[in-house]
Amino acid sequence: MSNKFFKNMFKKKESKQQAQSDSSSLKNKSINNHSHDKKLISPDKAKFISLIEKESNNPSDLKTKFITEDYTLFYIENLVDSRVLNKHILPVVLKNPNSSPSELKFQLQIPEANMTENLELAILELFSGAALIHKNGYPTVLLAKINTRESRSLSAPENESQVIGSQVGFNESLSTNESLVRRYIRTPDLYIKKLTVGKISNTTVSILYLKSIASEEMVQTLQQRITDLKIDALLDSSFLAEMIDDNSLSPFPQMLLTERPDRFCDGLLNGKLGILVDGSSMAVICPHSFIEFFQSREDQNLRWPIASFLRLLRFSAVFLSIFLTPLYVAALTFHYEVIPQSLLVPLSESRALVPFPPIIEALLLELIIELLREAGARLPTKVGQTIGIVGGIVIGTAAVQAGITSNILIIIVALSALASFTTPSYMMGNVIRAIRFPIIILAGFWGFYGIMLGFCFLLIHLIKQSSLGTPYTAPFYPPRWVDWRDSIIRLPLPLTNLRPTSSRAKKRKKYEEEPIDPEKS
Amino acid sequence: MKNVIHVKPQQMINAFLVFFVVHTTQIGVGIHGFQRIIYQESKQDAWFSVLVIGIVSHVIVIVMIKTLEMYDSHDLYGINREVFGTWIGNFINVIYFFYCSVAFFSVLINYIEVIQTWIFPLLSTWFISATLLLLVIYTFLGGLRVIVGVSFFSFMLAFWLIFVLVFPLQYSDPQSLFPILESKFIDILKGAKAMTFTIIGFEILYIIFPFVKDKKNIRKPVHYGLLVTTLMYLAVILVSLTYFSGEQLSKTIWATLSLFSIVQFPFLERFEFLAVCFWMLIILPNLCLYVWAAHRGLTGMINISAKKFIWLFSCIVLLLTFFIKSRIQINSINNIFGQVAFYIVFIYPLFLYVLALVKKKLTS
Repeated sequence: MSNKFFKNMFKKKESKQQAQSDSSSLKNKSINNHSHDKKLISPDKAKFISLIEKESNNPSDLKTKFITEDYTLFYIENLVDSRVLNKHILPVVLKNPNSSPSELKFQLQIPEANMTENLELAILELFSGAALIHKNGYPTVLLAKINTRESRSLSAPENESQVIGSQVGFNESLSTNESLVRRYIRTPDLYIKKLTVGKISNTTVSILYLKSIASEEMVQTLQQRITDLKIDALLDSSFLAEMIDDNSLSPFPQMLLTERPDRFCDGLLNGKLGILVDGSSMAVICPHSFIEFFQSREDQNLRWPIASFLRLLRFSAVFLSIFLTPLYVAALTFHYEVIPQSLLVPLSESRALVPFPPIIEALLLELIIELLREAGARLPTKVGQTIGIVGGIVIGTAAVQAGITSNILIIIVALSALASFTTPSYMMGNVIRAIRFPIIILAGFWGFYGIMLGFCFLLIHLIKQSSLGTPYTAPFYPPRWVDWRDSIIRLPLPLTNLRPTSSRAKKRKKYEEEPIDPEKS
Repeated sequence: MKNVIHVKPQQMINAFLVFFVVHTTQIGVGIHGFQRIIYQESKQDAWFSVLVIGIVSHVIVIVMIKTLEMYDSHDLYGINREVFGTWIGNFINVIYFFYCSVAFFSVLINYIEVIQTWIFPLLSTWFISATLLLLVIYTFLGGLRVIVGVSFFSFMLAFWLIFVLVFPLQYSDPQSLFPILESKFIDILKGAKAMTFTIIGFEILYIIFPFVKDKKNIRKPVHYGLLVTTLMYLAVILVSLTYFSGEQLSKTIWATLSLFSIVQFPFLERFEFLAVCFWMLIILPNLCLYVWAAHRGLTGMINISAKKFIWLFSCIVLLLTFFIKSRIQINSINNIFGQVAFYIVFIYPLFLYVLALVKKKLTS
């Protein structure tokens, strides 16, 4: 059973990678397929009404309005902007009762109006918020796109807060998000490619990239992977990101999910590709290497020594977060010898009353911390704060007084939890917290040897991964020495004119240096 | 030229990565206790033996690269078949396959022994070997790119261990090196020969050569790799010679680990506990590259998929580890393997080079 599943996974992967150049022809084919068996619009008024009602299953919010004797209007009640409908469409139609639909098209004062003969397309547009105008005797229908886009207003990104830098986040509307990106990058070079994903949901997905910088091959691969998707509905970009990952089985995210337009644009400017999904406030950036998940956009906004310090702090926090508790467990279970005598006394004192072996003690506390975090994430903000206090004070202090855990372990567990929250990507932070558990168990069973097993396994796993075909461990392996500097520390801005190699940007340099005028010097 | 190996560009590795491959294959379990073995032969001039074998390895590598360059995209297995014909060539290849397998095996059992002696006396052999083999299988199935990646990170993450030698340095006495060159020259050579088990690993070059992208630039990384290894061994032997007394040294099986055990930090004592476990990262590329080399040899002779091969190989190795019971057995395996390896790694390349040269002259 599971074998079959794996085989299918690999098959999917192969098909993803093969023949990227076929994608355009594939797309054409699917369009042709549509045109072969497409249903046409009936010129007869009564016939057309019954056709529409049949095809759309006649939902209660479908409104049919007879404007004049010949003109009929169809729309879905809450999807269209009734103000525009009443002000700009109905009066125009009433004024020109004799003009044909194609003539009418030019008289309507709305941004987008199309003609179509294809019934399926008309129905699809109807459900995405267009008003259909049909005239008796004409086999075409006018699609007036007057959909309302009710979305929440722009607000500060909640999950990726940052002290210095812009305080605006994406929201759920694709057009708003696209406009946000356009406001950061004002160039015709910014290319937006639209695709539709999901058999039922028909969700619009946009691929964004800078045409003169992003690698053509990668765009092809990404597009191929998205068009190859066989899913019924796409509700969020995180779902899409997991579906088109290089290895969906790995716990590590291989594409960055961000709600910050500045971080998104930073990626685009480095030659990466961005994906926006309609209805999702998280944008996807790919390819993204492992180390980049721990670099914050804010690093660019701070002075370079401070930013470098914070970055190094964050890197060491990852190691602390994964290995601190396991080291405690391993040292106390098997390797008392490695603890210096002066440290051993307070350690054994605090553990004297604890009835459990270190592994149970550690797992218990780690689980409590995870529970607190999960409860905090699910509950409304006000209740969440209370939970934090209850958890922090009551459980922490009481657990020590009750003699269930030692003081020192509370410090260690709190420290490693705190450290894991410094990761500027929520998805990656979760992974860091989750992989701690197997390593604690390994440490509890086999001490340092177990920790090393876990470490080596993680290392090999990371080397094996790739993000959109580029190595996940870039720029460390395969080594791109020049990129190391800007990955580990944050170089002073005048010294970094290079885009990362891993994005395979067409232009490696961010800006070309002006030729020095020989006369001047 | 049916022995030419066709490698897809995405499977190729950059020439400078060979530095890591050569270096990490050389450093392994030998470094734990090579001091005693050389000291038995050349006493306080043991460091001179290390120097000699280091220089010899450079010479051998020059010959190896010359042989490889005569045939453009062959590995050792292919060259053997070209030079000796299919039958004799394949016979030699079988020997080389077993050499790689035994090298793998001896690295594995030596490490298991160290773990059992220093940390977990009661942890069963099969468990340690099974877990290590699983890591090797996982790496091996990723292909050469992943194996080289492991050896790269192994170097990068473990290099700092050499600086730990500063701790014993403060208790060392340079006087014990004198008088210099007291031993007979033949003893120094004997000491150098005894180093074989510790210094071998660079013969991986024979196998990895067709997979290198820019073959012209391969000389530099290989020689730098050898140089770093030799300097490392030299540093270890010099510290050991000055830290231990002669009598101590001839009785200490794992002198390097004993050096580690005096290291102290405010938050950490008995550093060797950490070091022995951390050594897993250092032997991992050893294991992976040897099993990869063995697989290369076998695929040239019979048709076997990588997946089948690695599982079969691991099962056999796991079964064989059951037969290893005592220190004496392991020591004798090391000795015999060292003897054989000396001929395979240091003598055979010269022989092969001369034969290949003669054959080339005769045919042209």
